[in-house]
Amino acid sequence: MTTLSQPIAFPTAEERAALPPRRVLGDITILAQRNLRRLLRNTGLIVFSTIQPLMQLILFAYVFTSVVDLGEGISYKDFVVPAVLVQSMTFSAMGSGVGIAYDLQSGMIDRFRVLPIARSAFLVGRIVSDSLRLGLQSILLVAASLAIGFHFQNGFVGAVGMIVVLVLFGMALTAFSAWIGLAVGDPESVQPAVFIPVLPLVFTSSAFAPVSRLPEWMQPVAYVNPITAAIDAARGLALGNDTLERVSDVSLTTSLLQFAAWWVAIVVVFTWLAVRRYRRG
Amino acid sequence: MPQSGVVVEGLVKRFGSFEALRGVDFAVAEGTVVGLLGPNGAGKTTTINILTTLLPADSGRAWVAGYDVERQPQLVRSVIGLTGQYSAVDEDLTGRENLVLVGRLGRLGKSAARERAGELLDVFDLTEAGDRLLRTYSGGMRRRLDLAASLMVAPQVLFLDEPTTGLDPRSRLQLWEVIGGLRSVGTTIVLTTQYMEEADQLADRISVIDGGRIIAEGTADELKTRVGGNVVHLTLCDRTATSKAADLLARAFAVAHGELVVDDDLGTVQVPVAEGSAALVEAVRALDGEGVEVADLGLRRPSLDDVFLCLTGHIADEPRPDAPMLRRPRSSMRGR
Repeated sequence: MTTLSQPIAFPTAEERAALPPRRVLGDITILAQRNLRRLLRNTGLIVFSTIQPLMQLILFAYVFTSVVDLGEGISYKDFVVPAVLVQSMTFSAMGSGVGIAYDLQSGMIDRFRVLPIARSAFLVGRIVSDSLRLGLQSILLVAASLAIGFHFQNGFVGAVGMIVVLVLFGMALTAFSAWIGLAVGDPESVQPAVFIPVLPLVFTSSAFAPVSRLPEWMQPVAYVNPITAAIDAARGLALGNDTLERVSDVSLTTSLLQFAAWWVAIVVVFTWLAVRRYRRG
Repeated sequence: MPQSGVVVEGLVKRFGSFEALRGVDFAVAEGTVVGLLGPNGAGKTTTINILTTLLPADSGRAWVAGYDVERQPQLVRSVIGLTGQYSAVDEDLTGRENLVLVGRLGRLGKSAARERAGELLDVFDLTEAGDRLLRTYSGGMRRRLDLAASLMVAPQVLFLDEPTTGLDPRSRLQLWEVIGGLRSVGTTIVLTTQYMEEADQLADRISVIDGGRIIAEGTADELKTRVGGNVVHLTLCDRTATSKAADLLARAFAVAHGELVVDDDLGTVQVPVAEGSAALVEAVRALDGEGVEVADLGLRRPSLDDVFLCLTGHIADEPRPDAPMLRRPRSSMRGR
């Protein structure tokens, strides 16, 4: 065993403590890279988290399309695919909370908390890397949708717009999931803790049936549901304003505004809660 | 304001109704090693977590390298290293990647971080394993990598929370050697341990902590002297005779029963005595007269175990009776 020499010029305490914006961005990049590197090494996770939404897509598109007739000049397949894509984001965003709970349990979060990095860098780094993951997943799912015969009726720009909505929605859920991960602190419990509030919201939204066809008591819930806002926005972008108005009684502009309002609210509230939780320890 | 080292004044911390710290004071001179010695639940980890800015204190103040832990946490974080009780390593990264990650976040440039990582892998005998994922590492290798990560940015003050707990003797010796090396290059070290010999080996000064308070402070020699004199250590031929022997010895040396250490399983009795070898004769005489046969007999200076027993009335690896039973506390954020 050799002894330690110190040939490296180490920065002084003041230099290390300073947090100019460039450095905060650097920290976020380093931490996001770390998450992506870990993700690439978990081949099992990649394979299964890709198969799961593909399976849902196929099941919903083929099983229900044969039994449900919406009328309104739209096939159930075209109606349900944007919703399945939005739903797949909710599943994938759960991974963020699970990953954070692992970091908490392994002590990595404490390691980061004793380093002179910005208090927000860990969480923002996580949101950045997970958004990239969700972006890739969306593109893959859109390709799969085309393969099973989904029609983007609103052209290329609409398709890209839908992908943007999907990723933004996933990002907001990532913030929520991150907060759950920190609050629960146990990887096995994160999944149910995210599911319990999210799953009922998915089913009481416009995902699988137009809101007007849901049971009457459920309709008010469905109207103020953030998932309805995300699905209507995605559906409107993919299928066009006319189709959206026919099946959902809402215009694309309204649903985009609703979605934007929900997005800001969810991101701000849960990022704040999560950062607070991270700082306080 | 203290300029260097570590100064701790009256730290108090409660978790619900449990008072983990009830006014902890100690000081560590720059470039020295202080051992915080105490049983599980004594408040060692809580103290370390407060000093490393992981946990706010309820009251009291502390300075690390001259920086106020509560008011200048960012500066404190830029001069410390922490190796917690459980290895904080990323399982899905290689050893080298773990070190570079910590170095980069600790403000080393890319190439400086790589250079330093290579150097530390070498120091910790991990060069060969450096490019393997952490999940393939043994417990001892993880501990070493964990310590290496804390050293990536050459901290002025290093906190080691039970660094050798759960290690095999060989790895423990290896870590001791590294810690000794750090001391010799002038790093200020706060070390917690429940092992007397570890404190004895590594620390310049020892603070004994129990029940959230520092109950004694001094060099190992000072603490041993405080217990006074020597210990006669007896092994009996008949293990069932320990309580009878304890009675006889307590009477012969005029000491309270609580000061004797009796082990029924091993059939041993330890008695603190004032005088030297004359005590051996006296002990044999006391037992022989009543027909208790002695298989082995010895006289030794008190160990820190004896010091601890004498100071606290219980032995060091017994947890505090009122400490809450926590699940494995991997993070300061758990259990709250």
